[in-house]
Amino acid sequence: MSRHRLETVCLLAPALAFLLLLFVVPLARLFSLAFTDEGGAFATFAILAESEVYRRVMVNTLIVAVAVTLITVVLAWPVAYALSRLKGFWFALALYGVLFPFWISVLVRTFSWMILLERNGPINRLLQGIGVTDQPLALLFNDTGVMIGMVHVLLPYAIMPLYAAMVRIDRRLLLASDGLGAGLFDTFRRVYFPLALPGLLGGATFVFLLSLGFFITPALLGGANAITLSMLIASFVTDRLAWSLAAAGSLVLLVVVLVLLGLAARLLPLDKGMLAR
Amino acid sequence: MTRQPLWLRILAHAGAGLVLAFLVLPIAAVLPASVNKASFIILPPTAYSMRWYGEFFLDGEWRSALLTSLQVAVVATIVAVVLGTISAIGLSRVRGRWHGVLTGLFLAPMIVPVIVTAVAIYRSALDVGLAGTVLGLGLSHAILALPFVVINVGIALRAVDPNWLRAAAGLGAGPWTIFRTVTLLNITPGLVGGAVFSFITSFDEVVIAVFMAGYAGKTLPVKIWEAIRIEYTPVVAVAATLMILLAMLLFAGAQGLSRGQTMLKKTEKPQT
Repeated sequence: MSRHRLETVCLLAPALAFLLLLFVVPLARLFSLAFTDEGGAFATFAILAESEVYRRVMVNTLIVAVAVTLITVVLAWPVAYALSRLKGFWFALALYGVLFPFWISVLVRTFSWMILLERNGPINRLLQGIGVTDQPLALLFNDTGVMIGMVHVLLPYAIMPLYAAMVRIDRRLLLASDGLGAGLFDTFRRVYFPLALPGLLGGATFVFLLSLGFFITPALLGGANAITLSMLIASFVTDRLAWSLAAAGSLVLLVVVLVLLGLAARLLPLDKGMLAR
Repeated sequence: MTRQPLWLRILAHAGAGLVLAFLVLPIAAVLPASVNKASFIILPPTAYSMRWYGEFFLDGEWRSALLTSLQVAVVATIVAVVLGTISAIGLSRVRGRWHGVLTGLFLAPMIVPVIVTAVAIYRSALDVGLAGTVLGLGLSHAILALPFVVINVGIALRAVDPNWLRAAAGLGAGPWTIFRTVTLLNITPGLVGGAVFSFITSFDEVVIAVFMAGYAGKTLPVKIWEAIRIEYTPVVAVAATLMILLAMLLFAGAQGLSRGQTMLKKTEKPQT
């Protein structure tokens, strides 16, 4: 081995050993529990698949993730567009507006929503005040609350890739389309939208993958009425000490995330820089 | 779109403004809730008082939670910055297929859902007796923080011209002197950025901490998590406000730093 290579290995070894001991080995040990249940090698997965309750949890997790992704993408569009068009002060202001929430703890943001969405909270009183509803709406401890909180946390993840795609669009293409006689809608549909699409899909992938594993926000805003897979895993560990079921649930979640990520990496031109927060 | 009508532009920007308000304004809700005089959370408050700030700082449990959080964050930051920096340097020397494999491994803690990481680490920490200790929590948080340091330092390293290293070696500097005077000096902004990310990642982290904390090592987020579910008094809003203030302080610091970095770049340009 050359001196250069030896040095490189020495530089990488400490962090790799650290990751191996504290991350890879614990994961492998956890997953091994899923297959060593006394009921048989795949008994835990059979329990997860056959139970009506657990099936409903998984379906609910998927529904929430799909809904959150759709809402997030729709809300991200105008912000990303405005970011790609604004200059100077207004651009900086809008960019800070998107990046600032990243820095605030998810727990704190979720707690804010608990205060706001309460039965007698400001949002319910506002809705009653302007006559939208007579009775206070149930905005907390159900899927509605979970979705509001999750959209709030995940929006920046959709905005940034979409903005990155929109800002790269050559405005002359739009001029050309315009000059060739296409209407506003046609230019949007046939030129602008296809060029922004990779950013849209990249952001949607991130949001969907993150939603699947979300824990804090659904646990606090949803509670017992809107259980997600991650909450189920946590309750296996803390309430029931059912480690093998927790391990099986974790493995299912990780495999789904990895498969979707693999598909996305193959189908989409994902930009690695988007991972940085 | 030159012929983009005015109504469409107004609509797009108004929509953007509304969504941005949705992103930023709700975070501010904890501030009025924290200066509430009543013994329950009500918004807007009917009477104002700082009494819950007093409660927070006089209560030994909240104080020790804040202290534990700071200790854990310091451990996590030191471990992540040291390991992340040397591996980013190592990674910049690797080419080809291995580069992709190693990068994937270093970024893996970002991809694995935190609940999975948390349950796995908790299980192993129980077995080796690291659960409920500052060291155990700090090391776990370092795993989550490591990718941020590798990314930030990696980006900073790209700006280091290999010719500078050759020039230093040609002038007779040893490897350690080259590292200290050329590499380290030039990656400092990325390093500090990575450190700030690491600190805030650890300070804000709840999921691993909820499992690991046990009775002894409760961090501030764990205490908030429990208080939301049990007491739900304005003292939670005080703790949340303090966390926001700390994040804003770090955010402003990092912004000032990156501005300094761009100014540095601008002054450097004519020389190259």
